[in-house]
Amino acid sequence: MKKKTGIKKIEPYLYITPITLILVLFVIGSVLISLTLAFTKYNIITPPVFRGIDNYTRILGDAKFLKALGNTLKLLVYIVPLQMVSGILMSVFLLATRKRLLGKIANCVIFIPFLCSNAVVGVVWRQLLNGKIPPVEWFFGLFGIEPSMLLGDSKTALITVAMVAIWKWMGYYSVIYLSGLMSIPTTCYEAARVDGAGKIRCFFSITLPMLKPTIILTLFLCVTTSLRNFELIFNLTGGGPNNATTDLVMYAYTLCFRTSASAGYAMAVSNVLFVVVLIIGLMQQRLLRRDASEL
Amino acid sequence: MKKKWLSALLVTAMVTGLAAGCGNNGEEEPSEEGGKTLEVWLAPLDDDTEKNWGDLLGDWEKEHDCTVDITVIPWDKYQETYSTAMSSGEGPDVGYMYNEMILPYIESGAIVDMTDYITEEDEAEYKYLQNGYMMDGQYGWPLVTGVPFVLYYNVDILNELGEQPPETWDDFVRICEKATQDTDGDGEIDQYGYAVGMNTTDIGPTQILNAYYYSVLWQNGSNIYNDDMKSVRFADEAGTEAMTWMKDLTQYMNPDFMSYSWSDAFSTIFGEGKAAFGVNRSAQTDETTYAESYPDLNWDYVTSLKNVDYGTFGATDSLTLMSDADDPDLAMEFIKYVTGAEFMEQYHAKCPGAALTNSEPYVGDPKMERIYTEDTDKWHGIQVGPCGDEILTQLAADLQGIMTGELTVEEGLAEAEEYSNQLLDEYWADKE
Repeated sequence: MKKKTGIKKIEPYLYITPITLILVLFVIGSVLISLTLAFTKYNIITPPVFRGIDNYTRILGDAKFLKALGNTLKLLVYIVPLQMVSGILMSVFLLATRKRLLGKIANCVIFIPFLCSNAVVGVVWRQLLNGKIPPVEWFFGLFGIEPSMLLGDSKTALITVAMVAIWKWMGYYSVIYLSGLMSIPTTCYEAARVDGAGKIRCFFSITLPMLKPTIILTLFLCVTTSLRNFELIFNLTGGGPNNATTDLVMYAYTLCFRTSASAGYAMAVSNVLFVVVLIIGLMQQRLLRRDASEL
Repeated sequence: MKKKWLSALLVTAMVTGLAAGCGNNGEEEPSEEGGKTLEVWLAPLDDDTEKNWGDLLGDWEKEHDCTVDITVIPWDKYQETYSTAMSSGEGPDVGYMYNEMILPYIESGAIVDMTDYITEEDEAEYKYLQNGYMMDGQYGWPLVTGVPFVLYYNVDILNELGEQPPETWDDFVRICEKATQDTDGDGEIDQYGYAVGMNTTDIGPTQILNAYYYSVLWQNGSNIYNDDMKSVRFADEAGTEAMTWMKDLTQYMNPDFMSYSWSDAFSTIFGEGKAAFGVNRSAQTDETTYAESYPDLNWDYVTSLKNVDYGTFGATDSLTLMSDADDPDLAMEFIKYVTGAEFMEQYHAKCPGAALTNSEPYVGDPKMERIYTEDTDKWHGIQVGPCGDEILTQLAADLQGIMTGELTVEEGLAEAEEYSNQLLDEYWADKE
């Protein structure tokens, strides 16, 4: 085997240098800083003072933290299953109607919310729900819902945030599912029809099993995106009422930037979120590996 | 081979670019004229603060051979921008701060006590200088004051009810009760006594305290802190009574009050003539702007109701001299110039505001003038005290909990009191 010399030897390292620098400086660096500052009393303005594990001890007795952790997990539970199901149903609808005018329009329109920033989506939905707009009032009235009460009631505010998040990401997941659906050979359906299978049987016996790799991929993406609702919450409810929609990111942000002396504690809260995400990520990695081997 | 060299070159360029982008030698760029540059950070004071101020500073810049570099920071990122800039040593020479945020900057030495710069002429000329005096020093030089939250009322609704403008809590409750009614006979309440919005998306959580809570607390003779600043006072008997009174008002409020921000509630409900009362941050131009925004609304206002006392929140936002200012004397001259009559008369002609000095005449709509003449003792700012942000943020959350019925008045106040006093204990323990 010929030994690499000169530029050839360093060439691969050069290619990965820019992204490595970005990763080290802005991702790993931030995590290390956060881990370090979580052991201090720090207000951003003055130098940090070492306080050992005080911040982590404080977390254990902090009711607001527990509420924020609960809200984060609730959002995960609300968003992930609904997002997955709605994405599949929408993509099936898009595929079935792709040659009709309605399907073509839906194909274009459904992706627009995804292109908007979360902040814009938050402001628009707040105005839609609170704006006393007759068509919106009529639509929600069909289900017996007063839209302007949704964001102000601690029982419905978090669910409303979750629904807006699902609406926002639906186009994105539909497109992923759509590509998965289109890769299923039509011969499978033809053979099933010959054997007398109906549409519903085809969906459960062919579509869903063959979509399994896509479903696993979207599950992973969905869990990640369901933890990123800061701008939505910020613009829809501001974390209220009475912290009913404050998730861990919002709580850490409030501690760090809206209160002036708790940056160190905010880092500790962020680190807990980091651990939660890490655990979920590792669990999913295992799931992915197992399912990939089964396929 | 050429491709590889080109790729390697591109990669090198990217890495260099990245490194250059991260770099900052911390030195200020010289101004275009070659003189000094004065960095000034402001909040959005009007539609185009940078231009409105810039247009009026030309002569001063020439006279002092310097360039004033104005940066306008949006409200939703205000505190965040200041704290991160201070931590990285990239703050301005002159800052703009409000009372709730100023304490940590005083304690950290990021802003300078301006007492030594105050002359006898200044004391005679500036009307609100004492509002910038806090923590035993003149840390703020008031720039924006006199825009208190006042109680607006719908004259037509009050006339229909045969009522006069309210003066006391009893008047207010009585009118609210009468005003809350079904006007079109469909069986649903469509006119409310009090238009309220307690969603905290507008500016931040403490805005709901500014708009609704402080007035009630002060009117009942209580306050946020006890005088020694070592514990909070808002849960005392007067504070509990005030909160209970406010909670009882929910029956006269629009039922979706927790979904609206205070400004949305004012424009959507009071502005549309669907409520007898609404609270908004007053402005000298309200008569003109409301005529455009709410052409059918026949309105007037009461600066403050009275129970035990008068009181409503009027912010005092101040210019601050930063300790990192390159030329503190120049920065101080700037502060005095922009708050002085010469600059403010021209600025207020474009963007009306309360006169800061005795030499400056009132500029604004006649209807709003009494706030600055007869009613000056009815509004004021909040106490500047330790852990202010944390305490007020917690109080705002508990206020929401109480108003939605999730917490009783006693539970909500006890939670906020316990949290606040614990913070204050830690704060004072650290000081000792």
